[in-house]
Amino acid sequence: MFLYYVRLSMLSYKRNPVLSTLMVLAVAVGVGAYMVIFTLNYFMGGDPIPQKSGQLFHLQLDYGNPAIPDTSNQPQMAYVDTLALLDAPFAYAHSASSKFMAVLEPSNPDLSPFFVDGRGNTADFFTMFDVPFEFGGGWDRAADDTQQQVIVLSQDLNLRLFGGENSVGRDVELQGIHFTVVGVLDYWEPAPKFFDENNGAFNRAEEAYIPWSLIVGQQLRRSGNTNCWEPPKDSSFESFLNAECAWIQFWVELPTPDDQQIYADYLASYVAQERAAGRMQIPIEKRLFNVREWMAKREVQPDETRILSALAAMLLAVCLLNTVGLLLSKFLGKAAEIGVRQALGAHKGALFRQHVIEAGFLGAIGGVLGLGVASLGLEGVKILMGGERVNNEWMHLDLTVAAITIALAVISTIIAGLYPIWRACNVNPAIHLKAE
Amino acid sequence: MLNMININKRFRTELVQTQALADFSLEVKEGEFVTVTGPSGCGKTTFLNIAGLLETFDSGQYLLDGQDVSHMNDYQRAKLRNQKIGFIFQSFNLMPDLNLFDNVDVPLRYRGMGAAERRERIERALESVGLLARKKHLPSQLSGGQQQRVAIARALVGEPRFLLADEPTGNLDSNTAAGVMELLQEINQQGTTIIMVTHDVGLASRSARNVHILDGRIQSDVINSDVINSESTAA
Repeated sequence: MFLYYVRLSMLSYKRNPVLSTLMVLAVAVGVGAYMVIFTLNYFMGGDPIPQKSGQLFHLQLDYGNPAIPDTSNQPQMAYVDTLALLDAPFAYAHSASSKFMAVLEPSNPDLSPFFVDGRGNTADFFTMFDVPFEFGGGWDRAADDTQQQVIVLSQDLNLRLFGGENSVGRDVELQGIHFTVVGVLDYWEPAPKFFDENNGAFNRAEEAYIPWSLIVGQQLRRSGNTNCWEPPKDSSFESFLNAECAWIQFWVELPTPDDQQIYADYLASYVAQERAAGRMQIPIEKRLFNVREWMAKREVQPDETRILSALAAMLLAVCLLNTVGLLLSKFLGKAAEIGVRQALGAHKGALFRQHVIEAGFLGAIGGVLGLGVASLGLEGVKILMGGERVNNEWMHLDLTVAAITIALAVISTIIAGLYPIWRACNVNPAIHLKAE
Repeated sequence: MLNMININKRFRTELVQTQALADFSLEVKEGEFVTVTGPSGCGKTTFLNIAGLLETFDSGQYLLDGQDVSHMNDYQRAKLRNQKIGFIFQSFNLMPDLNLFDNVDVPLRYRGMGAAERRERIERALESVGLLARKKHLPSQLSGGQQQRVAIARALVGEPRFLLADEPTGNLDSNTAAGVMELLQEINQQGTTIIMVTHDVGLASRSARNVHILDGRIQSDVINSDVINSESTAA
């Protein structure tokens, strides 16, 4: 009977094409608009590294100047503490990293020099964050210690410089310094960019990666946020490094709760020691945050999306209320047919099922159109959030979102149709049979 | 076969109460062809709707094939209607976007019958009214008389014991009406009980029994012995 009812639904659509299309459009607009916001929430609130997000911890220390308001709660790490923690007596994987910007001078004479957005990071960065490689790999800790001039290229940069071929062993000149390519990344655009959300949670991943020690060793031009709560003594680079300025992202991998406790205890003793030396005078309760905790603390999913969600839900409700009215008109217009079907042996349950399927059929068409509306909406959001540095590739309708869209459209249209269906199935057949 | 005992039916609005049937009692035996006549508003259609289980009643008892239907729920009434009763309406009530085959198919769909058996029955029913060749046509492509024939095929396809017809010739010209009446008489002669509401005294005189209703009560119940004799002779 299901297929029979689907066929009747198609015929019913053809019988009232204008009314049916209005309903489908109402559902499409409501569901499409809702799904735009849903998609934003779905991906913004997603776990960018679900396989180990509970084991990766971002560090926060008791920074700030009690005499200057709003200087506590610093999301990044100062240089002196980074060095100390990199030397901590543990075998845990850890990653210090920060952004830089440099001019790349291509060996290909057809290409002009251009700026690249780069990241200086310690060796464990690649393994900790499961960074995928197309060719080669990262470097080891010895390369960090000896400031080896090695570089890992993003897939895009490798395509631009070497046409996408295996460039491991090739030479790349950055800011006048020659680097040897040791690896080329596969496509990698985590969203949110959890390892450095402070510099744009939905910015693109960097194009080039070099040992973090070189940023200091070669005094490369740093980029990204730097927050100081005590100014450097003078304008020298050395003074900057030793100042109370946070500009480094520090992560550590702690596989078990015991490891987490050991490391938390270590941090507490380190902070106590620094406090005794006159630093870290604003205590904080928690210093280790796993990926999800850190994304929540940093409010990667902004409040605005919640407001937009509420607005989108209201729009969906308005569209569905319209659909209720249109369905009421459509189904009550079928009272004569319903009366005939009752006379021929249809019980109310069968008629109810028939019309639930008809409402679901309209909802499914509305859902398919809603996918188009949602795609257009997402393109609009991309334009609004535009900019080359922004990673908006995650803003798309994947299979899960598409399935949710269709399901939402079908279910909401059926719910909207319950009252009209109930009314239609309870008409007195005798009246309509005679009237016909 | 059909036995109504002291049936009462009232229609109420906020201002008016109308007694559609008052202590209405009627027994129809298997194989009878009964015409029901009476002026407009006398209760003919109410009687037919109650007989066809489309309408409930306030008091009394109604036995259909020996079964008391007074307290049946919607599902039981629909099932009984589907299996035992066929309807023919004045305005045919065919579904305009279904072709003839699919129109005749409707009652069988609710019987949960397999596709092969449905097809066979539908084709047989359409053939019996001479419209098998046009099974893919839409009702709008047929004349009024042909549409009524399709409605008769739809009523007969489930092989009901009862055929309830409400002014089946009311929308037809006299020649076509005569043809439809002949078809109904043939069906009756094959054993199907027919109750037909009509305004047409001429048609009523061609049935073996005529019940005349006035103000919700049976005013006369006449057996037409001439028709019975001629039917016997014909048989």
